[in-house]
Amino acid sequence: MKMVQGRDSPYALLLRNQVPLIALVAVCVFTAVLSDRFLSPVNLNNILLQACVMSVIAMGMTFVIVSGGFDLSVGSTVALSGTVATWVMLETHWAVGVAAGIAAGALVGYVNGLIVARLRVNPFIATLGTMVVVRGIVLLITDGRPIVGDEGLPDTFIELGRGRLFGVHLLVWLPLLLFAVFGWLLHMTAYGKRVFATGGNRDAAFLAGIDVDRITASAYTWCGTLAGVAGVMLAARLQSGQPTAGEFYELTAIAAVVLGGASLRGGEGQLYKSIIGVFIMVVLANGLNLLNVHSYWQRVAVGLVIIAAAAADQFNARRT
Amino acid sequence: MTNGIPLLVIEGLSKRFDATQALDGVCFELHSGEVHTLVGENGAGKSTLIKILGGVYERDAGDIRIDGRLVHFRGPREAQEAGIVVIPQEMQLVPAATVAENVTLGAWPQKRALGLLPVIDRGAMRRRAAEVLAQLDFHHDLDARVDALSFAERQLVVIARALSHEARVLVLDEPTASLEHREAERLFAVIAALKRRGVGIIYVSHRLDEVVALSDRCTVLRDGCVVEECRKGQFGTDHLIRLMTGRDLEELHRPHKTEFGPAHLDTESVDTGSGAGGFVVRRGEVMGLTGLLGSGTSAVLRRIFGAGSEPATVSLRGETRTFRRPADAIAAGVGLVPEERRLGLVMSFSVRDNIALPSLVRLSGLLRLDTAQIDRLVEQLMESLDIRPRNPLLPVSQLSGGNQQKVIFARWLASHVDTLLLDEPTHGIDVGAKARIHHLMREFVENAGAILFASSDMLEVMNMSDAVVAMRSGESVARMARGDAGYNEGALRAALAG
Repeated sequence: MKMVQGRDSPYALLLRNQVPLIALVAVCVFTAVLSDRFLSPVNLNNILLQACVMSVIAMGMTFVIVSGGFDLSVGSTVALSGTVATWVMLETHWAVGVAAGIAAGALVGYVNGLIVARLRVNPFIATLGTMVVVRGIVLLITDGRPIVGDEGLPDTFIELGRGRLFGVHLLVWLPLLLFAVFGWLLHMTAYGKRVFATGGNRDAAFLAGIDVDRITASAYTWCGTLAGVAGVMLAARLQSGQPTAGEFYELTAIAAVVLGGASLRGGEGQLYKSIIGVFIMVVLANGLNLLNVHSYWQRVAVGLVIIAAAAADQFNARRT
Repeated sequence: MTNGIPLLVIEGLSKRFDATQALDGVCFELHSGEVHTLVGENGAGKSTLIKILGGVYERDAGDIRIDGRLVHFRGPREAQEAGIVVIPQEMQLVPAATVAENVTLGAWPQKRALGLLPVIDRGAMRRRAAEVLAQLDFHHDLDARVDALSFAERQLVVIARALSHEARVLVLDEPTASLEHREAERLFAVIAALKRRGVGIIYVSHRLDEVVALSDRCTVLRDGCVVEECRKGQFGTDHLIRLMTGRDLEELHRPHKTEFGPAHLDTESVDTGSGAGGFVVRRGEVMGLTGLLGSGTSAVLRRIFGAGSEPATVSLRGETRTFRRPADAIAAGVGLVPEERRLGLVMSFSVRDNIALPSLVRLSGLLRLDTAQIDRLVEQLMESLDIRPRNPLLPVSQLSGGNQQKVIFARWLASHVDTLLLDEPTHGIDVGAKARIHHLMREFVENAGAILFASSDMLEVMNMSDAVVAMRSGESVARMARGDAGYNEGALRAALAG
């Protein structure tokens, strides 16, 4: 084939690579113009806090989606880890509760991984199943009532949800730390390359000596673990273990990751862009709130955004 | 060539993809009842031309005329309505439907049940299908499910479907790539029958002897341009190769070698379970595996590599090893180049990442991948294997087939394997790249490695191997060594036919 000078200028390329960021800026500008409350410190702080929990979930979801999978169970896992954490800490110590909550999330992720990798169940169906099972377990544990404790949750745990370090919420510091760790894991290590290879072409990865089953299982385990962390964070913020926590979080997380440019066919995605995707979703919801759009309409809007993101993903696939 | 107006005329056809000028002012003509072959190396523009004809791509410039009328297809459907049917390598049939249903697919005769409800008229459908199949002299149970048919039979069903849709131009893309000798002969008979019926045939193939035998005319493409249009009887394969590559081909035959090292890969003296053959490859030796379609050569290679359903036990350098998964084989110094490149490469990955993939652990520093070391290694390999374009960050999907194959070779050279299992390593790649791969194979065994290589191209197997094992239904039926009296293609074909 004859190669002629590429007509894509570096600027066009940069522009195409940064679509999520541009979309985020656009949503922000749009909302700021329509509502003078958007840029108030209270509101910005709110956005940041809301994005925190979702960011942690979206990081795990990025691992699963990059590995070629899908996880619908994260919302239920958030509720499970929150209720397990609060329940255990009321019986023992706050730290034991936190550890138990995260471990519960990791367990759900590991089970998802086993079902998908070993039993070869379609990820959509497998995690749809665990989503319902886990929500059922949460309701069994809590009897459908929030866990708050007779004298409230341990003070240290409450402080985790309220405290600040250098003027910034602890709940904001944690995702930053996790972002550094998981960004390194996904983008700079041999393990991360294997996750991408497994999602990009499972057969080829297998023949290149990659244990694709183990990689798949590990991606789901990270996803469950991070959903567990998110559940504990949410419980700290709400100062209770809520059995209904995390409903529809799976959809927001998947939408955020896809908005961030990850491909639902696997093998493509970037952690920081998934976080940008989270902010797009959060700012959008926040903007609709500020503009007094009815919450029913907000659901319609979020659904449309998910469809649009998936359609854009499909369009990109056809173009290349 | 019954009348003056050609069936199909293409003039000044151009198409460009991003940075690549795939077609540049191509002219092409096809008469009714003519076989016009299209040859060229990979990336010469054959597929693009076919896809424009089939309505898959839109052209940038140029005219296409059918019966002198200007046409412009906006989709595959419009091309089909104009009578152009492309028969791709991957055939599109409905596997769970019957032969009759597939032949008449999309144009099922209808009737009204009880004078009211439209239903498919199965009787008329079977009659129509039988009629078309008879024209091809292909008599088959009309109610058999298509997924029970062999590859060659399915191909005939697709051609029959084209006929039932009244195709006037039939485009055959590498139709014999997966056919046995006898099946190919039958296809040629079908082509002759189609010619008599006045169908114009565009025939694309890498098998140049076939091209010479079949063509009424032959157009050679290189770099998106027509280099020459040859007429029947005025060209041979050597001439075509020169036109396609723009140079003379290097001699493929290698000198007869007699000195080999000790047994390197041995599947004979250990129990490998069923289907892993029984042969000994010595150090410095190329062992060829060949057989007709379905003879199980691919399965043997996959099994030895630990990619089969059962673990494989082999003797490697005198040690008994068990491979449960490819990772075990790779750790023991064995690499596999699979038959289909989409099984070997992660297409969304760059050339660099594809080369580094099996060696990632070795190429990891304390905390992260040692990118400097990877870049050095990849640069070296791209240079020595002449992988083009020389850009390690280019997605591997943008490379030609031959260069993609070199990337898989580079991967195993990077992981320092000394045993290569090659499955149809030159399948579907152009002549120049083929010679390059053969050269690499020779170099590899010279450096004290061993190669077990499967190919259904018997001439290639004979030329490249020091010894050949003929396989039928997963069993080795004959073994011949270079220098033996019976080391020739005739003896091999006889052994395979049984």
